[in-house]
Amino acid sequence: MNKTLLSIVVATSIALSAQTHAAVYANFPITVKNYTGDKTHSESFAGQMARHNLHNSVKKLISKGAGLEQTSDYFSGKLAGRAIIDPVSKDGFPVLQTQIDELSGGKNLSGKAYKGLITGMPGGLTGAELLALMVDKAAQTESGFDPLTGYDYTQLISKFTMGAVFYNQAVDVYLDEKLAADTKPNSEAYKDGAAYTGKEHVWDEAFGYFGAPAHTLELTAEDVYLIAKQSPKGFSKADYNGDGKVSLITEMAYAHAYYAAGFDKGGKTQYLHTIVQAFLDGRNLISSANGEALTDAQRSELIDYAKVIKVQWQRIIAEAVFKYAGSVYGDIEKLETIIEANGDAGKAYRSYVKHWGELKGFALALEVGGVNLGETGVKLNRLLGYSPVLLGNTQVVALVGDEFVQSSSVSLAEYRVHMIKLQKLMIDAFGVEARSKDVTANLAELVDALGDALAAEND
Amino acid sequence: MEWLLSFIQSWFTELTGLVSQGSKRVFVGYLLSAAIIAVVWLMWQRRVKFLSALGWLFQRNLWWSSSSRSDYQLMVLNQAVMLLLSPLLLSKLALATALFYGLNDWITRPLWSLEISVFWASVIFTSCLFVVDDASRYYLHRLMHRWPALWAFHRVHHTAQSLTPFTVLRTHPIEGVLFGLRNAIVQGLMIGLFVFLLGDRVTLLSLLGANVFTAVFNLLGANLRHSPVPMSYGKVLESWLISPAQHQIHHSQASQHWDRNFGVVMAVWDRLGNTLEYGSNTQQLIYGLPDQTPNEHQLVILYWQPFKNCWRCFQRNKPGTLSRTQQNRHNK
Repeated sequence: MNKTLLSIVVATSIALSAQTHAAVYANFPITVKNYTGDKTHSESFAGQMARHNLHNSVKKLISKGAGLEQTSDYFSGKLAGRAIIDPVSKDGFPVLQTQIDELSGGKNLSGKAYKGLITGMPGGLTGAELLALMVDKAAQTESGFDPLTGYDYTQLISKFTMGAVFYNQAVDVYLDEKLAADTKPNSEAYKDGAAYTGKEHVWDEAFGYFGAPAHTLELTAEDVYLIAKQSPKGFSKADYNGDGKVSLITEMAYAHAYYAAGFDKGGKTQYLHTIVQAFLDGRNLISSANGEALTDAQRSELIDYAKVIKVQWQRIIAEAVFKYAGSVYGDIEKLETIIEANGDAGKAYRSYVKHWGELKGFALALEVGGVNLGETGVKLNRLLGYSPVLLGNTQVVALVGDEFVQSSSVSLAEYRVHMIKLQKLMIDAFGVEARSKDVTANLAELVDALGDALAAEND
Repeated sequence: MEWLLSFIQSWFTELTGLVSQGSKRVFVGYLLSAAIIAVVWLMWQRRVKFLSALGWLFQRNLWWSSSSRSDYQLMVLNQAVMLLLSPLLLSKLALATALFYGLNDWITRPLWSLEISVFWASVIFTSCLFVVDDASRYYLHRLMHRWPALWAFHRVHHTAQSLTPFTVLRTHPIEGVLFGLRNAIVQGLMIGLFVFLLGDRVTLLSLLGANVFTAVFNLLGANLRHSPVPMSYGKVLESWLISPAQHQIHHSQASQHWDRNFGVVMAVWDRLGNTLEYGSNTQQLIYGLPDQTPNEHQLVILYWQPFKNCWRCFQRNKPGTLSRTQQNRHNK
């Protein structure tokens, strides 16, 4: 009897432990043959987390008006001893690490930026060149804002870095060419002495770039949103290991995972959990190969998980384009009202430019996902232009040397209509569903308010 | 099986919604307000006591006549039929969205629209919607009487020989579909137009979940239109608003009353269309149609006969193919 009871308890513990293991992107076994190191698990994505912290820090530095040298230290430098500028400990939300080197040493953002051509900005620059130009330009402004071109470099650089580095590296490199059978095979260590195989680390790196906490599946979208915001309400959710501090490697939320959480908490979408689940399923599949080369069937299944991640991730970015097109639409309405009343448009213009920077940064990111957008890309670029339409109805049309050149453009009112078309384009081309800041939302609200006519009431 | 259970559940929800939702004419609150108004009116006009007024209002041969019983049957079955037809109906939202996109494509929003506040945007939208909706109902109602193929279906409503508030639901489903189409077109276009002009400043001013004007109209005794209470507003007010007595004239069997008072709320449309007839507190009318047969309160006949009559409209020189308007002209 006691033996039976014991077996049940043991079986239940194993089942529970397996369940816990399955829900967290952690504690994957070491499957590298003949591994002799002292590591106890194989997952590793600290390098990606270092880049998330570099990105957060660059954003903070530009918005605080830091000089080119200091920003470059984080953007393109690899020096040791760089302090993490953001995120730092806050009341009610202490973080564990304070130095980039504590995450991973020798990392930068520029080295991993997209090297393909970017068509959404003038000058025929690559993603990496465009980011470098913008970092340079940002240093010449106060707090990253250039009122003459309507560029908010803080936002442009931040949102485009998320695309040109994190998104591009993940979906166009790790979940694409590096899933090929003869690239980084699972039967070999990723590099000599590593505790992980080629495919294990390829997959981990893609997961790291997404920016989700390892225990995301045990959290709600709202939790992850609060964690990224460093809200004290999110602290207990973030501190999964209960050490009283949030690890910036495994417990923090960044970049697109934060945006996914923001959309999902509205209840219409499940981008965050769908993507993390696919990452987890894929990683378990690789671990199950136990250090052998993946079979064709296993690789095919892995590619299917990668497809889920790619489609959902692209949709998150399209949702962000949709959202900020709605914000820009609202900003232009406010500007039109103020201009009509001869009021002071300064504050409204700043808000317009900020939202446009976010919109453009995300729109440019859609170009770097390794997918030819075709007509959608053309429409996107034409509707959005190279800059916001400025109050004198001008817009950036070219880059000559390193100077942006403006020319006359559509009116502000027409540009507002472009935002409606942009939102429709995101629905038609990418099937966005969260639809934050939907400029047509009022149509549905009024239809709901008026009800149906199914009662067949006569006169 | 699952589908059937879900359908029955939806059907039940629609039925209960008829009396529980303020957007419906027979909402219990509107029925109650109509009853109070009727009792007060009877005590004042007919000099009867409270209990007598109540007794007269709720007489069994009114509420349980063969005509009223068929009203209830139609009410219950129509909700199921409309539920089945609803996926086929024109989507108000699709129309509003198409117009919104279209207008933004074709024209630039006028700058004056920016100066309209949230309050005034909502007042203007709600008022315009109410007026256009009322006008379109007048026009469709008039067409129902004028076109033989439409009269074939609208006739069902006019076969009511005793009027109770539930007579408003004595409608052939085809007519219900036409009402739904009118509703979708008018409201869809108005929503698309106003959101184009005024953006998210537009809201519906509502009361009890309905357009505030419609709710007030219903609270002020709209249900007495289909009742034996001939409440008249007097000529001055009846030139602007349709009184219960005026709508009862619309249901009168007497040929001099045919094709009069098509309006729902506002009387101006009838004035413009030369179809206005004033009511009287003392009017005594017989309801129904002179050519209706005794079996026209049977559910099968009510549903099926209109299709036959409609079909005849497309066959030359067949009897019974005239519209109400044509019969009226013929009589004159």
